[in-house]
Amino acid sequence: MADSKDVTLKIDDRDVTVPPGTLVIEAARRMGIEVPSFCYYPGLSLQAACRMCLVEVERAPKLQTACTLVAMPGMVVRTNTEQVHQARKAMLEFLLANHPLDCPVCDKGGECELQDMAFTYGADKSRFAEEKRHRPERKWSEAVYYDAPRCILCFRCVRVCDEGMDVKALGVGQRGSQSVIIPNGEDHLDCEECGMCIDICPVGALTSGTYRYKTRPWEMKYVSTVCAHCSNGCKTTLSVRNNEILRANNRDLSGFNKEFLCVKGRFGFDFTSHPERLKLPLVRRNGHLEPASWEDAIAEASRRLAEVHKASGADSIGFIGSNRTTNEENYLLGRIARASIGTNNLDHHRTADYPSLIAALGEKAAAATVTMTQLYEADAVLLIGDDPTQQNPLVAWQIRAAIRHRGSRLYVINAKSIKLRRKAREFVEVSQGGEAAAVSWLSGSDETLDPGVAESLSALKSALEKENNVVVVFGAELTGAAVRDLVKFGASLPGQTRYMALGDYANSRGASDMGLLPHLLPGYAPLADVKAREKFGKVWGAKLTNKPGLDARGMLAAATSGKLRALYVVGANPVKTFGVNANERLGKLDLLIVHDLFLTETAKLADIVLPAAAAYEKDGSVTNTAGEVQLVRKGGDVMGTRSDFDILRIFSHQLAEHGLGQAIRLRTPEAAFDEIRQSVAGYDLSMAALLLGEAERTSPISTAGGQAKFDAPVGAIFSAHDTLFASGSLGRYCTTILSLPEAGPKTTPEAGAHS
Amino acid sequence: MNLPPQLEAKFQTLENRYPVKRSALIPMLLYAQDQLGYVSDDMIGEIARRLGLNTLQVTETMAYYSMLRRQRAGKYHVQVCTNVSCMLRGGNNLYEFVQKKLEIGHKQTTADGVFSLEEVECLGACTGAPAMQVNYDFYENLTTERATQIFEALEAGRKPGTSAPISGSVKPRHPAEVPVISRLFGVKDSHKLDVYVAHDGYKGMERALKELTPDQVIEEVKKSNLRGRGGAGFPTGMKWSFVPKESAKPKYILCNADESEPGTCKDRPLMEMMPHQLIEGIVIAGRAVGSHQGYIYIRGEYRYVLDIMDGAIAEAYKAGYLGRNILGSGFDFDLVTHTGAGAYECGEESALMESLEGKRGYPRIRPPFPAVVGLYGSPTVINNVETLSSAPEILRRGGEWYAGIGSPKNGGTRLFCISGHVNKPGIYELPMGFSLRQMIEDVAGGMLNGKKLKAVIPGGSSCPLLTADEIDVAMDYDSVAKAGSMLGSGGLVVIDEDTCMVDLARRIMHFYAHESCGWCIPCREGTGWLRKMLDRFHAGGARAEDIPMVSELAKNMLGKTFCPLGDAAAMPIISIAKKWRHEFEQHLSGKCPYKPADVLAAVR
Ligand SMILES: Cc1cc2nc3c(=O)[nH]c(=O)nc-3n(C[C@H](O)[C@H](O)[C@H](O)COP(=O)(O)O)c2cc1C
Ligand code: SF4
Ligand code: SF4
Ligand code: SF4
Ligand code: FES
Repeated sequence: MADSKDVTLKIDDRDVTVPPGTLVIEAARRMGIEVPSFCYYPGLSLQAACRMCLVEVERAPKLQTACTLVAMPGMVVRTNTEQVHQARKAMLEFLLANHPLDCPVCDKGGECELQDMAFTYGADKSRFAEEKRHRPERKWSEAVYYDAPRCILCFRCVRVCDEGMDVKALGVGQRGSQSVIIPNGEDHLDCEECGMCIDICPVGALTSGTYRYKTRPWEMKYVSTVCAHCSNGCKTTLSVRNNEILRANNRDLSGFNKEFLCVKGRFGFDFTSHPERLKLPLVRRNGHLEPASWEDAIAEASRRLAEVHKASGADSIGFIGSNRTTNEENYLLGRIARASIGTNNLDHHRTADYPSLIAALGEKAAAATVTMTQLYEADAVLLIGDDPTQQNPLVAWQIRAAIRHRGSRLYVINAKSIKLRRKAREFVEVSQGGEAAAVSWLSGSDETLDPGVAESLSALKSALEKENNVVVVFGAELTGAAVRDLVKFGASLPGQTRYMALGDYANSRGASDMGLLPHLLPGYAPLADVKAREKFGKVWGAKLTNKPGLDARGMLAAATSGKLRALYVVGANPVKTFGVNANERLGKLDLLIVHDLFLTETAKLADIVLPAAAAYEKDGSVTNTAGEVQLVRKGGDVMGTRSDFDILRIFSHQLAEHGLGQAIRLRTPEAAFDEIRQSVAGYDLSMAALLLGEAERTSPISTAGGQAKFDAPVGAIFSAHDTLFASGSLGRYCTTILSLPEAGPKTTPEAGAHS
Repeated sequence: MNLPPQLEAKFQTLENRYPVKRSALIPMLLYAQDQLGYVSDDMIGEIARRLGLNTLQVTETMAYYSMLRRQRAGKYHVQVCTNVSCMLRGGNNLYEFVQKKLEIGHKQTTADGVFSLEEVECLGACTGAPAMQVNYDFYENLTTERATQIFEALEAGRKPGTSAPISGSVKPRHPAEVPVISRLFGVKDSHKLDVYVAHDGYKGMERALKELTPDQVIEEVKKSNLRGRGGAGFPTGMKWSFVPKESAKPKYILCNADESEPGTCKDRPLMEMMPHQLIEGIVIAGRAVGSHQGYIYIRGEYRYVLDIMDGAIAEAYKAGYLGRNILGSGFDFDLVTHTGAGAYECGEESALMESLEGKRGYPRIRPPFPAVVGLYGSPTVINNVETLSSAPEILRRGGEWYAGIGSPKNGGTRLFCISGHVNKPGIYELPMGFSLRQMIEDVAGGMLNGKKLKAVIPGGSSCPLLTADEIDVAMDYDSVAKAGSMLGSGGLVVIDEDTCMVDLARRIMHFYAHESCGWCIPCREGTGWLRKMLDRFHAGGARAEDIPMVSELAKNMLGKTFCPLGDAAAMPIISIAKKWRHEFEQHLSGKCPYKPADVLAAVR
């Protein structure tokens, strides 16, 4: 619908109507007219430096840059005249003069904007007869290499690092024709190593240390999936050749993260081919883990589990799931625990209190939580706890972009002087762990605070009261009652208040949504909810118990006391995560079964280890911390192992043979997701959109009502405080990331890194 | 880091001088370098810390400015100009002479660390060519003899005594001159407040402050037909009228004293000999647009001029011509100087603002124009030194009087810097519209050594050149434009028959390639390409296909660059390639047929 303020102009003899302030280059794009550009990059500051986008404008004495020209009513623009073509050709000739033209060996060959343009404008032959500028290629870090002669000085990298990342690690050295891009450490980079600069480079000047000279773009297949690391759910496109992942990037701008990826999304894929990956099942014989066939291993696992069940009862068995496995896998694990075995001893490492948030918001839970895109659209962001720059990089990127593009305002409450502080309007520094008390104070309790903190909180409160549209983003510092207080405070603000809870790993939210919790069924239905129990009982072919189960710490304690006899761990490393003395705790178990990629501290103690496929080796769906569901796609079978989905499915068949529950008939993740859509509240999502690669947001509604509990057990919810260069146990196998100096003191998997 | 007390004091003043701390960056680097001979890594860290920057922000800014260096230079840093005006008067020979004398080359230092040498671009001493600078001291009208004396003195640790008066611009008046803004040139102590006041100084300002409204001040300037002397000739009164009356942000007056256009050396004597006239003009501009803060951005090489300016500003504050409630009028105005550090592009108004904000001197996208969004994002008037220096007499004697001196739409007088192959190079104040032929043949004493005229650069090296047949032109903006060139910055360079035009084009392109900021492709790559090509062409590698390509490449730059520097580089080359095409053809033999007179050798 055309707004009355909209502007109509003519481009190449056709009318186009655009909102006021639209740049001519964008107006032309809307009409399908591509005006060539190098320095223009939507979302970054304007440069008008490359002069590729020169167009003719009626009544203007000279050609104008379409990338800076604002559309005006009645403006007449021509992009396809002889003069314009001549100018483009001239700019390309200038650019190519000193360019090495080493396309056949350049990493960017085949996907280079300069190569494409030279081809289009027939400027691939140079009249330049002088000596070209020579400069050696530089290695700035394991991740980033710079080849100056290829650089066209479009300054995209400098801007994305400064404006987008707020790192400011790149600058320009020398001047004039000697100009070069320089890194902040004189000859090396000291930065967040996000690699944004590499992907944004239109030519092959900045290249990725992991991908250099490995292959050519046309020799690979491209698989668009979701990053395996943090909870933000960035789309990443894997480049795969012969079942080997050679790079990850998001040059196709897919997903809500568009161009964004952090160091983990871009370089953290090499764990898939780490030499220590488990390839064969291991079974403990005479005290030693020895390779076994899949058949034997699964048969033994199910037989022994059935024995424990028979001997000690359902509640002597516990399940610890993963915050990285897919929704389908989590759903299956929950079903095995609750339906096949008949216990609620089920949990995972919880990194955000999603249940409390959803319970506190009740019916409004869907409307009052935001997606990553809505976070960008917020007028104001109140950030409590967490360090998004390190722990939730896309969240930090969205907040910075909102500030930069939309003038949004950021307010921060934190015990640490986190990096986002420099973008904040107000920063309230609380004592270590003081976030919850601050929130309680804000919600009107008689909490006594340090007078200085109280004063800055009241300034922050009055600032928030002037905002119309606030998004509250909070970390694991707020759990249980603090989340309830937060929602109470939010409700007291005059404007609209919405929320986002920040968890740690790729499917933390999905683990919670799928009910890997001792007290909640999938879709946040409390065990006491008879209807929900009946519903799942019917779907799963079992009568579900309402007897509360043990949480993860409870299970570990019960293992010590001997009450728990068997533990089934999928994609988790509780020994490390919960910091328990492994032998004392788990040594007493009759049976420990572990699915994992690596022989983790927990897997080392197992009786049976089943090697699982990595996130990049399987299909399914994951839900990011904002509740956005996306499909993950199999890049390739790097190790030839089985997915947790397949293992669990087969396992259920064997259990059924031992008289435990019904065999799972869902043959594929798609079939499982179909069932999830029908049975899990909030997951009735459009399959079409998901298949197109889009994100669909869940609409969870808490049915807990008055039964909602806000007393999360102490220590049940905590963040791993992973940095940009860490990713739980998995991070210890991300070789490239670990080789970066910024990753801190070198830690090898053998030495046992912190998870 | 522990700093010498003087530097510490300087740093503290600079850190508190500007509304944005980073503005102090370039002056701090230059003053630190003056003390230590270079900018050390520790110093970079220290300055970054003081200004709240990261070290990359400091190093990348530094890297842009040609005066700033991270390696130690000699105790005496010798800078020889070989740009056109100097080249025509033996600059290359001087440079060669110094190289031999010191046994070092470009950017090298003698083993004992006493001397270092650099071939530099135009120093603003064109009418005193050939010229060089040792540290901040100028030496002009050099001969081998004089140069020998200078080096002997320096080696012996004596001060050679600079050529007096400092800028070498005082010479007998020609009867055709109309001294208005140069009226105190050559008067003893003309830079002092009492001398200036005794010659009607600060009367124009007093009238502007006490008798006229801001609008009336603008009206007076509009009536005077004063046009900007920085190069583009934009009507000054009109420029002032664009500044919004109401502004939530402070407004600024910026005086452009970056004078670097080859052939131009008039702002230097204006500030050196009549600094109070400039101060007065700036306050008048402030009154006109409602600004209370001014900055004078002075090119880094003009340190002694900056010191004179600072002295005059201090005097003016003391006497109540600056500061609170000036002359009891209720008008406040503050003024400070700011040093550049070697970059022609920083004379371009928006690049100058970036530079003053402590960044690399990249020009800004326009619109918005400085009158609305300028320095620190505030409404800003930027004018050349000469433009602002003209305001006092306009206000004192009236716009109509001033307009009456010049030609239609080109009010008043201007300082013409005549350099090159004339008998009496110098700075002459002549009415706008004065005949070019008469300037060369009469005012400047005719051609040197009776040679024939070949070409004239009418207004700085950015202008298309005129041939000997094209000099019957009135020197005002409109007439010179009609003749196919530009009045520019008033730097006339007169070129005789012995000069090789290919060599001249080559030298001009060296300048623009050196000074291109590197922001946009056509200028960055075009100047570099043409420089290499003309070097090869002149050095014996000429190919027939190069001849049309020279002008094609220049035309591919023309009108397509981000800022006018690209045009400035293209225009002279296009004109030379067209008007002296036969000289290019002569080079196809592989040899340059021209043997320019070695002015130095003549004395040798
Ligand atoms: C490359 C370039 C260099 C310039 N250098 C100077 C200079 O050194 N001094 C100056 O006054 N103007 C210089 N100018 C012109 C300024 O941009 C600006 O037009 C001038 O300062 C305006 O003052 P005026 O209106 O008083 O002339 C330069 C312009 C360009 C494009
Ligand atoms: S990798 Fe990221 S942080 Fe490092 S220089 Fe490139 S854009 Fe900046
Ligand atoms: S390295 Fe790439 S992105 Fe950066 S300026 Fe050069 S061409 Fe542009
Ligand atoms: S024309 Fe372009 S490269 Fe040249 S000085 Fe201007 S902006 Fe810089
Ligand atoms: S895209 Fe417009 S100048 Fe680069």
